Amino acid sequence: MGDDHRQPLQREGVLFFGDVIAGLSHELSNVFNIINEIAGLQQDIVGGAQPESADAADRLSELAGRIKAQVERGETFNQTLHTLAHSVDDANIAFDLSDTLELAGWLAARPARLARVELTVHRPDQPLTMEGDPFALLLTIYGSIGAVVNAADSERRVEVNAAPHDRGTRVFITSADPLPPESVDEIPGLETGHLAWGAVHTLDPPPPGASRRVILDLPAVAPALKAMVDEEG
Amino acid sequence: MDQLRLLFVDDEEELVSAVIERLELRGIEGVGATSGGEALHHLREGSFDVVVLDIKMPGIGGLEVLRTINRRHPEVKVILMTGHGSAEDNEIGRRLGAIAYLEKPVDLEDLLTIVDQAVNGKAGGPDGR
Repeated sequence: MGDDHRQPLQREGVLFFGDVIAGLSHELSNVFNIINEIAGLQQDIVGGAQPESADAADRLSELAGRIKAQVERGETFNQTLHTLAHSVDDANIAFDLSDTLELAGWLAARPARLARVELTVHRPDQPLTMEGDPFALLLTIYGSIGAVVNAADSERRVEVNAAPHDRGTRVFITSADPLPPESVDEIPGLETGHLAWGAVHTLDPPPPGASRRVILDLPAVAPALKAMVDEEG
Repeated sequence: MDQLRLLFVDDEEELVSAVIERLELRGIEGVGATSGGEALHHLREGSFDVVVLDIKMPGIGGLEVLRTINRRHPEVKVILMTGHGSAEDNEIGRRLGAIAYLEKPVDLEDLLTIVDQAVNGKAGGPDGR
């Protein structure tokens, strides 16, 4: 596979990893803090801080359920970290774009929540098989979602969809608020997405009007990979 | 500390509810808020001796709430909490008059010791000691 996207990918990749791992670390800390506090509450109950309580067993059982819910929440973050870590394993692989969209959505959930934006990623009904570097695509989609989330203002809702288009896939990132056309050029991951995937960002409607959607056009096979396959005959 | 009123502010609802219940078990009147806006609403509606504030919250963050408390409720003691503390936040909090800056997980007994010192006029340092 061609290496022309490797340099920006490495630079943007490090920034991306720092950003999302810091966020996931915060989320895991929240889980541990909650478990710590509920465990403290259990100790209070068992230790007699509430000696007159006749239903301590019921309370302890209810608190155990809350701990289990937090453990499940923590496991989701851990799985996300695991999937993220393996997203760099192979730069030349067939994969389902739906998985990449889902991972980007998980990673963007915290920044969206901090921006008080409701982010919904709709998993496509059918597999959207792609061939190329999934991590480069993850960077591009995550950066695109972030740009639209940051521009969301009035309704604070962002939706992500994907569908087959032409001989590739279109990813739609939709918000009620316009994304200034000039801000498209500043999307993190855009350069990598363009070099690695020939990804094309467009606004809907196109400039000079303000946009309600960012559209990301992707080929089914990354151009660099296709060129390599063609060359090998 | 029977009459103590404490406002605990963190965007994690589960954390807030557990802390409030633990405070009540100790005879402390605790009120919870899960956002800066809700905290300011409670401060407008009632009086509090101490506010325990998470720094990083969606919308109005803890430092912004602290600035508003300084303007509108200067008698209220404020303790800041953070998940991953930064020296900059610590310094800003100190300059804004927070009586302590605690890193999570916060031990409730340690917190109550600081609160006790604060309401009895023996405020701890900005690092909570």
